Amino acid sequence: MRFLLRIHLSALCLLTTIVSAGGADLPSADLPIEQVVDQFIHQRLEAEKISPVPQADDANLLRRLMLDVAGRIPTSEEAKGFVANGSATKRVELVDRLMASPDFVWHQRNEFDRMLLPNKPNDGDFRKYLLWAVKENRSWEAMFRDMLVGDESDENRKHALTFTKSRASELDDMLNDTAIIFFGVNVTCAKCHDHPLTPDWKQHHYFGMAAFFSRTYVTKKNLLGERPFGEVKFKSKRKDDTKGEQTAKFEFLTGAVIDEPAVERTDEDKKKIEEVIKAAMQKDDAPPPEKPAFSPREKLVEVALRTEDNRFFARNIVNRVWDRFFGRGLIHPVDQLHAANAPSHPELLDWLTRDLVSHNYDLKRLIRGIVLSQTYSRSSEWSAGSQPPDAALFAVVKVKPLTPRQYSLSLLIAAHNPTQWPALDQAEQWVQRREQLENAANGWAGHFEMPGESFQVAVDEALLFSNSKRIEDEFLRDSGDRLVGHLKTLSDNQQVIDAAVQAICSRLPRDDERATLDEFLKSRTDRMIALRQLVWVLLTGPEMRFSY
Amino acid sequence: MTVSRRGFLNAAALGTAGTFAADMTRFDVLRQSSWADEVKQQGKRVILLWLAGGASQLETFDPKPGRPTGGPYRAIPTSATGVHISELLPKMAARIQQTTAIVRSLNTKNADHGGGATIMETGRIKDPGIEYPDLGAICAKELGRLDSAVPDYVSMYTSTEGRRKGTSGFLGSRYAPMFLSESMQPENIRRLESISDIDHQDRLVLRDLLAKKFTQNRYSDSLGSQTQAYQRVRGLMASEKLFDIEQEPAETRAKYGPTQFGQQCLIARRLVEAGVPFVKVARAWWDSHGENFETHRELCADLDHSMSVLLDDLKDRGLLENTLVLTFGEFGRTPSINASLGRDHFAAAWSATLSGCGIRGGACFGKTDEDGQKVADGEVGAGDLFATILTALGIDPNKEYHVGARPVPLSDFGAKPIKDVLV
Repeated sequence: MRFLLRIHLSALCLLTTIVSAGGADLPSADLPIEQVVDQFIHQRLEAEKISPVPQADDANLLRRLMLDVAGRIPTSEEAKGFVANGSATKRVELVDRLMASPDFVWHQRNEFDRMLLPNKPNDGDFRKYLLWAVKENRSWEAMFRDMLVGDESDENRKHALTFTKSRASELDDMLNDTAIIFFGVNVTCAKCHDHPLTPDWKQHHYFGMAAFFSRTYVTKKNLLGERPFGEVKFKSKRKDDTKGEQTAKFEFLTGAVIDEPAVERTDEDKKKIEEVIKAAMQKDDAPPPEKPAFSPREKLVEVALRTEDNRFFARNIVNRVWDRFFGRGLIHPVDQLHAANAPSHPELLDWLTRDLVSHNYDLKRLIRGIVLSQTYSRSSEWSAGSQPPDAALFAVVKVKPLTPRQYSLSLLIAAHNPTQWPALDQAEQWVQRREQLENAANGWAGHFEMPGESFQVAVDEALLFSNSKRIEDEFLRDSGDRLVGHLKTLSDNQQVIDAAVQAICSRLPRDDERATLDEFLKSRTDRMIALRQLVWVLLTGPEMRFSY
Repeated sequence: MTVSRRGFLNAAALGTAGTFAADMTRFDVLRQSSWADEVKQQGKRVILLWLAGGASQLETFDPKPGRPTGGPYRAIPTSATGVHISELLPKMAARIQQTTAIVRSLNTKNADHGGGATIMETGRIKDPGIEYPDLGAICAKELGRLDSAVPDYVSMYTSTEGRRKGTSGFLGSRYAPMFLSESMQPENIRRLESISDIDHQDRLVLRDLLAKKFTQNRYSDSLGSQTQAYQRVRGLMASEKLFDIEQEPAETRAKYGPTQFGQQCLIARRLVEAGVPFVKVARAWWDSHGENFETHRELCADLDHSMSVLLDDLKDRGLLENTLVLTFGEFGRTPSINASLGRDHFAAAWSATLSGCGIRGGACFGKTDEDGQKVADGEVGAGDLFATILTALGIDPNKEYHVGARPVPLSDFGAKPIKDVLV
């Protein structure tokens, strides 16, 4: 019965792919991305009879866009300028300006870094590659190839292989991370047994993926090699298993199997080859590894990208990019792309996937479309007096914790003297400043937790902000280059409050905040301490810690 | 109380000052003498004495005197009839029947420091797709209070331990250990000189007040966790004294003695007494590839003394019935003695002890063969040990967490508690 069900579901899945690949029922491919996004999100909201919240105001939208696209909060000038700008096309102009700016390049690099090498942050070589790839607007497909197949002789691309090299000592890590990051598929539990929740994942899928990586090794000189032979054996851990030990095929997640051309090798030949590899893994002066005639990793990339088997690669990245901007994937969680876990908006995912593939996997194009949608620019406040609707409806914008880098950069910007930024038209100066900020942020990022699925702020973070000398020295000092230093030059409380809230929250204070903060400042006898407290209170607030 | 001096809070504009003032009283709770009584009634606690590097079972709880693998030390009878342990632990020998159960049949299969430690910290083999929480994080979650004014998982570093910080894995950083990396005091727990205590309190109150406006109509657990984290700051700062053994009478300090391990055991006692659910104290470095017998003579003396003083102290204060004291490390040591008179890594047949809460004192579970090379009877794995620990604490080991759609039982799939050592 279970077997039949599997056939049925995978057949269905295949059918969907074929239909969507043809695109018969999807809206025209020529429509703007943002329009298609809003159309599908709206359709489902209507069907569920739920009204979405209104659009966010300008100040809120700008802050969100800056954090999402540039990786930092706006400066006071940027924020004031955007709100004051009366142009009807200011949002598009802003998005296009940001996406052409170095801010986008840095941030996009940082986002790739945390997705691709989450356990090895700040690998300089890998980050160099990512920076190059983003600057080139290299297609996601090409980046995938760079990371798994690569080219050690290409100065720009060779460090992409860090993705594979850094995992090469653990076969499980190579295959799991590749499956999760590039295909949105978590087959971990199929290592020991067939997946209990979806008929899609069987043990042979896990070991099929393992086969593609099992021959990979890294030499002493840190070059990536692949053995010309080698098999993966596995055995079911089920007590009722009758098959015994099996040899894994080169089997992709779709069930596609790659046959390896037979090569006659005597045991003597094999022994010789093994000795050469062993020497390369132990000695610095060994010759670089020879590329085998049959490269399983190359085959994996090939099969994953060919039209009939590209059910995972393209959809996964669309889903991951969506998840990055909305805090939730169209398929949720993002590592559960399988038949038993349907997308919230299947046609939208199909349309976006088709669009991405037909535009050379240009992620910049996808990002631009997403952030120009009305769905993206909704408010994050749900004030209907009841629990907000299912997050999968995207009726209200989700509050997202900042990444360590976003938070660090934003703290540095907020605590800086707001009158001392380069003017908006001085692009070159800004590039320099951004690079300095990026370096300074490196020193802070390690203090903060990388947000995961159910992120919590650690009490260590609250203790750090409360009692660390470093926080006081960096963010609360009253020298001329800092916000406190600027505030002390202002004599009027209202000016102080406006400047502080503007610099830190990228907006003007509300009346009730003005009154509370004014009361606070008046109740203090020591002006300098009062200003520091004010800045501390705003810097440690949720508005600073989260994107909303 | 200093509330009257906090001028701005009394301002009518805020209207909420009363609530915050009431909250502040919570921080005094540590100083109240009834606290220990309350713990006794409700809270179960754990102190893990982590024997880093891997202690030899033959020189501790499973001696093989007279065998080629036995080494030079004798076995001595304990207060539990028929149970003998190494002569290196005379003080513990006198306490086995009253407090401690021994498990002699652990086979944890991984004799590599990193892998073995992961298994003994989390009760299962590392799984690439998932970050498991360790025992401390599980206990913090199951035994701690969400708004606890004390830390709920404290992990103490020693200079030789190898800095294994511990991990809360998928439970998230709310349950991450407060890790003492530099000294006997946690980091950032003390107010800076540059800010007065009143200002320090006030700015937290003001922060909370402004944050409320923001969080009111926004629904997110992460958002809530930030509020909670800042609300716990003052409480945790008040627990600074818990780490200060100078607060103890000279007589008590003298009992625990001058060793770092002894002093940390005393801190651990202070912490559990104040309601901290899980404290890990590490003693290192047992990794005796050479001169095993010298090493163990020195380390066992420290273990024997510190552990028995700790158990006595907990008992005298009525805390032992609710505090589980554990001893194990990442693995045991080979019965075979190598050419440097050392013993190497060995995970196939080794021992752990459990004392106090929920444990049948004097129980001795499992057997190794004549030379200690294999488990002869009652083989158990790390999962079974974890199931036993959780059961002793009144936690259902089969309870499941959900990681995405995946159910993860607290102790590994198929693990069973060792009934013989439980009350």
